[in-house]
Amino acid sequence: MLDIIINIAKKEFMDNIRNKWIIIITILFASLTLLASYAGSIYSEGWQDLGVTMSIMSGLVNFLITIIALILGYSAIIGEIEKGSMNSLLSLPAKRLEIVLGKFFGLGMVLTSTILIGFGIAGIIIGFNVPDVKYDEYLIFIGATILVGLVFLSIGIFLSCLFRKRSTAMGGAIFVFFLFTIIWQFIVFALLIITSSFNIENAALPDWYFALNFFNPLGAYGSLLSLNIPSIAAQQTELIAVEYPSFFNTTNMLITLILWLFIPLILAYWRFKNKDI
Amino acid sequence: MKINRKKIFALNDTVYPNGTSAITVKYLTKTYNGKKAVDNISFSVKKGEIFGFLGPNGAGKTTTIKSILGLIKIDSGEIKINGFDIRKSEKNAKKNIGYLPEKVAFYDNLTALQNLLFYAKIKNVSKEECLSLLEEFGLGDSTNKKVGKFSKGMVQRLGMIRAIMGKPHILILDEPSSGLDPKGVLQIRNKIKELNRNGSTVFISSHILSEIQKICDRVGIINKGVLVAKDTVETLSKKLNLKPQMIIELDKISDKITKSISDIKGIDRIEVKEKTINVICDSETKAKVILAIAKAGGNILNLQTHEPSLEEVFMRYTGGDI
Repeated sequence: MLDIIINIAKKEFMDNIRNKWIIIITILFASLTLLASYAGSIYSEGWQDLGVTMSIMSGLVNFLITIIALILGYSAIIGEIEKGSMNSLLSLPAKRLEIVLGKFFGLGMVLTSTILIGFGIAGIIIGFNVPDVKYDEYLIFIGATILVGLVFLSIGIFLSCLFRKRSTAMGGAIFVFFLFTIIWQFIVFALLIITSSFNIENAALPDWYFALNFFNPLGAYGSLLSLNIPSIAAQQTELIAVEYPSFFNTTNMLITLILWLFIPLILAYWRFKNKDI
Repeated sequence: MKINRKKIFALNDTVYPNGTSAITVKYLTKTYNGKKAVDNISFSVKKGEIFGFLGPNGAGKTTTIKSILGLIKIDSGEIKINGFDIRKSEKNAKKNIGYLPEKVAFYDNLTALQNLLFYAKIKNVSKEECLSLLEEFGLGDSTNKKVGKFSKGMVQRLGMIRAIMGKPHILILDEPSSGLDPKGVLQIRNKIKELNRNGSTVFISSHILSEIQKICDRVGIINKGVLVAKDTVETLSKKLNLKPQMIIELDKISDKITKSISDIKGIDRIEVKEKTINVICDSETKAKVILAIAKAGGNILNLQTHEPSLEEVFMRYTGGDI
């Protein structure tokens, strides 16, 4: 079983190297991080330390990682079915579970390596230009970014198994992207206004506001960063003094992201298992 | 009157002893959106035979093939490959299958060799065999070329290599000649025969009926989801009362000659056109016709015999749809 999963994962990785995806995304990550560090601050000129860079990048990553992971995932299964190559793959002694896992690991490797190389190169360059670099925080940032990327890859693969056409799966991916990056914020603010829960005088937010982060992977990702990277937390508390409820902690955010990773993948397999090719 | 197809199968279908059936399909039914694409069909493919699977477009050929390979969920029925149930023992069933789909597709960004090696690893086939097959099928120069740049014929040949690598016990070929030039068609036909001689069972679906007739031991004809016939072409012709046609060219035709032929039992029709006589008769009567002409003093200049073609059989069973 493992041999087949590795073989499929390797093929996916090789396919993406060949079509220049990896190179393009890596360059994009590195150049955006360097740009954020060098020209991202309105308060001072030149290279900023990694803390400032991360707080600028965390907003950009929300959009970038989400869209890249969804693009990688949404056509993984349905694209092969539509093209016809899935027929041949399934005529071999390869199980559908092995195919889903192979695709996930292969595309996950693509995503992970682009983040590691792109952010890694940028981090090293920034490190040469800025004193007192906190690499441990930067590693947390990279790790959390990889995790949220894998979550959206898993959602993308689920969409790829859910729909019967590549174009519909793409529509689903676009909807998921807008739902979690933009629409979600509107929903949350609308709920705050409707329930009159936000008290501007003492800047207190209701517990359910924090609990909503469990239902949006980007919310859990942002929370994970602000709980563990002081420079990102400082950026938020500059605007509003926040008092977190007890359930709002690193462990719960990690569990949330891990559940977001596994549940769509399990659903993807269940859907693919019952799918006519 | 309601027909019990299960009973018909039990009475008419060839039941091979245990272990001699490469593919067994029993009471297969598959419905799409309430419409039966395949309706309760049953047949067996004997180990070592070449079985042609024919039918007009939309008759249910591809649905049957996909069911055999476990690519689609069937409504009811049982499919066994080499004795293994495709649903219960999928891996074992697929261990020795080579499949060429109707629509051959590869990973365009990978080279021919990279593509083959990907499948080869799953099938436990060596790199040397892949390289040797690429050479054999005339793709030796394109080993390191991206498949996205291949012509349709080259993709088809690469698809054939993928199907036959590892010398599978069962080959399932859906339109193997599609997109090939005459040389390619001949090469594929010879390869199918060679593999069959070496013990492979071949299940082949094609629109080119002459191809099927040339290589198949038996055929199955499916029409509107129902298997309407399965047997050798010869037996099906006999069942349909299709008879051979003799075209006899003589130096001259006399009344004595035509009368001597018309007196023979087993003759269906005689047509005389200038110096040519067309005779439609039973197979056993052909020699009698020639003998009668000779006795009547006829001098035969040329003789052609046309056996009933698979095309005629197919037309009769499917009502003329191709």
